[in-house]
Amino acid sequence: MAIDTASAGTRGRGDTRVVRGSPFRLGTVARAVIIAAYAGFLLLPLYWAAVTSIKPQEDLLADPPVWWPSNPTNIHYTTALENFNGWKGLENSLIVASVTTVIALIIGTAAAYSMARFRTGGKHLAFWFLSQRMLLPIAVIIPVFLLYSRYSEAWFGIQLVDTKTGLVLLYTVFALPFTVWMMYVYFRQMPVELEEAALVDGCSRIQAIWKIACPLAAPGLVSAAAFAFIFSWTEFLFAQVLARDSAITLPVALAGIITGFQGNQYGEASALTMVSLVPALFLGILVQRHLVRGLTLGAVQG
Amino acid sequence: MLVAPSILIVLALTIFPLGFAIWASFVQYDFSLGLEHPWVGLDNYKENWNDPVWVHSLWVTAILATTMVAVELALGFVLALAMMRPFRGRRALTVLFVIPLFMSPVIVGGFFDLFLRRPFGPMNWLLGELLRHPVTIDFTNDSPWTYISLIIADAWQWTPFMFIILLAGLSAIPDDLYEAADLDGAKPRQSFFFVTMPLLAPIVLIAVTFRFIDAVKLFDIIYSLTRGGPGTETYTASYYLYQQGFELFHLGQGTAGALMLMVMLTFVSFWLVRRLLKPVEA
Amino acid sequence: MSEDIHEGLDGPDPSIFGTPTGRKDFLFDSAKLLAAAAAAGPFFMAAEQAQAAIEASTAVGGDPIATSAVNAAKQYKGITLTKTNESGLQALDDHNFTGPLWEKLTGIKIKVIESPFAQIYSKVIAEHIAGTGGIDVIDGSPVWMPDFAEQKVIDPIDGYIAKYKARSTLNDYHPLYRALMKYKNRTWGFFDDGDVWNLYYRKDIFSNAKLKAAYRAKFKRNLRVPRTWDEFTETSQFITDQMAPKVYGGGEGRGLGNPGNQFYFFQQFRARGGQFFNPVTMKAQINNPIGVKTMQSIMAEIKASAPGIEKLSFVDSWVQWLQGKTAMIYAWPPTGRISENYAQRDKAFNFLPKSTIVGKVGYSLMPQLNGEHAGSFVKMVSSDSKNKDAAYLFTQWATSPSISLQRVQLPYTLRDAYRISHYKSKQFRSRWPSAGEYLKALNDAANNAVLDPIMTGAADYANALDREMTAIYAGKDIQTALNDVAKEWDGITNKLGVEKQRASYAAFLKLPGSTSKNTVAKKGQAVRITA
Repeated sequence: MAIDTASAGTRGRGDTRVVRGSPFRLGTVARAVIIAAYAGFLLLPLYWAAVTSIKPQEDLLADPPVWWPSNPTNIHYTTALENFNGWKGLENSLIVASVTTVIALIIGTAAAYSMARFRTGGKHLAFWFLSQRMLLPIAVIIPVFLLYSRYSEAWFGIQLVDTKTGLVLLYTVFALPFTVWMMYVYFRQMPVELEEAALVDGCSRIQAIWKIACPLAAPGLVSAAAFAFIFSWTEFLFAQVLARDSAITLPVALAGIITGFQGNQYGEASALTMVSLVPALFLGILVQRHLVRGLTLGAVQG
Repeated sequence: MLVAPSILIVLALTIFPLGFAIWASFVQYDFSLGLEHPWVGLDNYKENWNDPVWVHSLWVTAILATTMVAVELALGFVLALAMMRPFRGRRALTVLFVIPLFMSPVIVGGFFDLFLRRPFGPMNWLLGELLRHPVTIDFTNDSPWTYISLIIADAWQWTPFMFIILLAGLSAIPDDLYEAADLDGAKPRQSFFFVTMPLLAPIVLIAVTFRFIDAVKLFDIIYSLTRGGPGTETYTASYYLYQQGFELFHLGQGTAGALMLMVMLTFVSFWLVRRLLKPVEA
Repeated sequence: MSEDIHEGLDGPDPSIFGTPTGRKDFLFDSAKLLAAAAAAGPFFMAAEQAQAAIEASTAVGGDPIATSAVNAAKQYKGITLTKTNESGLQALDDHNFTGPLWEKLTGIKIKVIESPFAQIYSKVIAEHIAGTGGIDVIDGSPVWMPDFAEQKVIDPIDGYIAKYKARSTLNDYHPLYRALMKYKNRTWGFFDDGDVWNLYYRKDIFSNAKLKAAYRAKFKRNLRVPRTWDEFTETSQFITDQMAPKVYGGGEGRGLGNPGNQFYFFQQFRARGGQFFNPVTMKAQINNPIGVKTMQSIMAEIKASAPGIEKLSFVDSWVQWLQGKTAMIYAWPPTGRISENYAQRDKAFNFLPKSTIVGKVGYSLMPQLNGEHAGSFVKMVSSDSKNKDAAYLFTQWATSPSISLQRVQLPYTLRDAYRISHYKSKQFRSRWPSAGEYLKALNDAANNAVLDPIMTGAADYANALDREMTAIYAGKDIQTALNDVAKEWDGITNKLGVEKQRASYAAFLKLPGSTSKNTVAKKGQAVRITA
């Protein structure tokens, strides 16, 4: 049982294991039908967005729908990227998500290690971190806005509204509960002996963490990173409120296109959807194996 | 101290806002009433309960969140069962299936709108071809289709979440348990109910808890798919509070509602989270 | 009373001047700018407008309002002004035209905060509550102006107008627009977008012999462009019955907040004689029989329109119109420009298809005369700005007769003519064969327009009505729904304070166009121009 975590630290690192002896099987046909149906459900809207992104204007609102445009165009891509903040949004999203991931990973792992090895804060601290997950964005959004503008100006002479730094800080806060908790679980499961041996051999504590603990916890790190990245890559509400212009992210750029006075600019919106899909695809390939652990705070092994 | 940076940043960006929100919920903090902040006690809280839209939005949130989680669980489970045994292309398919998790919900809502919108979205046309008679459902404007549209879009995005967790859970059930059940003469259905289900239950609990907490915050898809309409029918609590707080700037009322929602959410999920802690602390 | 206006605005009056830039410098500068514009790529297509704007802002004999603003602003060289605008096309004006030009002329950069229309309001308030001067120029709807003014989000500009001797810029505003810049006797910004609705119709359809004969046979009278709302729904249903699915009688997109269903209601409700509130008790009156009749009529319009419009955005209905599927559409002024393919020559305007109805479009006043002045923009100076003078000067320059004339002619713009000199402009009138009729129609519409409620709480009132109307489209009983809205409106009024709202509504009632009984025309202030 994966949730029986006592022995889980050393296994479950690889691919999803395969059940052979299970008598409970769906027939091959049933399985194929289910998989095909699901793939259809998944791909159909995506296909529609893809084909919409290359349709000339005349075809967009055609009834019956045009399934393939007779003369495809890339105009929506150039317009969306150049005129409607597409490039800016993409660049900002990538930067904010990457930096958030790195920071959350470094300070989160440090905290988790300390809590796991030195019992810092006991179990209450760990729980406190986890409880941050309950924080409702809608409850704190306005105060955060004020903190980033009026108060940071008054206290530190800087404004964090509409800066990537501001978004990174906030996203780090929301990613940390995951990172800390997951790495905490991971370190707790890891045998102490290896690190102790390293310490005896003259390693410093930092070296022990860097050379022994982290490599052993690599799968956990990847899962935590995946989660932090997904969170900051897809977040909308905070970005919508906190970014004016220079820090707008891809979801905000897209929301601007679909709710403008000009209405939903279907072609441009679809083009940006497709653009946002590219990094998603890469991520899917990269971290798919480690996703389960990330999504369940390490409680379920992938 | 290794924990210091984490604690500091979380404290800085949560304690202040929360404290501020609690204060704002007890004073008059409303753009259209001026920016002095006299103490008003529980008025902001009462104001929410006097607004039928708030009560309605809580129901919508509860019903949508529950339905969404249930639908995603069911779909994810069936898919996990189908994907459990190896076949060519299984890895690639798994990658494909998890892609929605990497997409922003506001974008997902956006292209579902495109897909479902009458008259030029292809959904009606497809249904028409399938059923061999014209279909003119207004998916984003007619009750109950608006709810169904939201559930479909949310399921599109989050079924992979259930799927991938359940797939891991199913794969982790040791084969010898099935063999033992087999030896005891259990039929496949019985071994499913007496072996698979109990062993899977804790994982299902985790997946449901996490999904539920997120589903209660439902905002982005509403924002881009129905915008709360028609009327206020698909207002969720988060959408209502966003509008009160950030579009119309009745901040006191907005934060009061948000705090109440947070307390409710905490109560509902508290015991579930406690359960999550058990295996680790054991 | 006929308007006393500057006749010579196309060739302006050189009376007030700072230090004019030499002719040679100017030619050199504009050559460089145009080269830069060309290099900036395909989206800077308005070279002609840029040329004219530079000329007006710098040349000897240029527009004094523009040149004096430019000369006074030069001392702020190097700063950045942040302004709001609606995301998408509206913002292209700032990104591609107004911003670069202003920077070129004064060395002041323009940064734009883009958001969807309704959210400009919240962005502005958020920045104000934060109080950090994040916005200098608020480009927003006049209906928010009273709230902004009462809560000191914006500064009155009367002082600046006097300081920079710019009073003459107000002279050739259409009286409707000149009036609505004022709230409680002060001026709060320069109006910048003449957004009155007109009825646009297909001349070819209305002169179709077969259709006319069928109409005669059925109604015993001649087919004509409808003059009352009841006639409008009747005619539109008739055309739909005759010609659907090829052509539908009408087709206004009515998606929520896109741009806002309240406009449809406000317009017809007033045209039928309605008033939003009882001015004494401040009780909402939108659920009275006039309100119900208005809603029934809107539902009849929807029935006569292409299926699905209750969820379509406004632009979708433009698409159907341009594809020739709609016989009548009542809408904002860009309708006239896009119908003639004037806008679509710009690459940035690719969200609409090419028009298939060039030369076939006629312009008319709305049924029962009163077109809604819906949404629109005023350029206001934020009270939190750290560079208020520069912010003010930018608004003076951008709305000056010559610069605004170029801006309302940008192909991709959604800003529409609002000065009498715009309506009379020879240049604008040469844009397409019927441009003169078009500009006359815009002027006449302003004479007869009814205004959105410009008063405190406007955003709340509009929001309540907009969303409830979508519920009616989805089948909710009209009387019940309107009663709900009225209840909500009364709640809003009580919350904001009945006394305060009464004063604010009274101020609104003084504006021309607050009801159908006191439009500019009814007040005897109509501007007459020829086609």
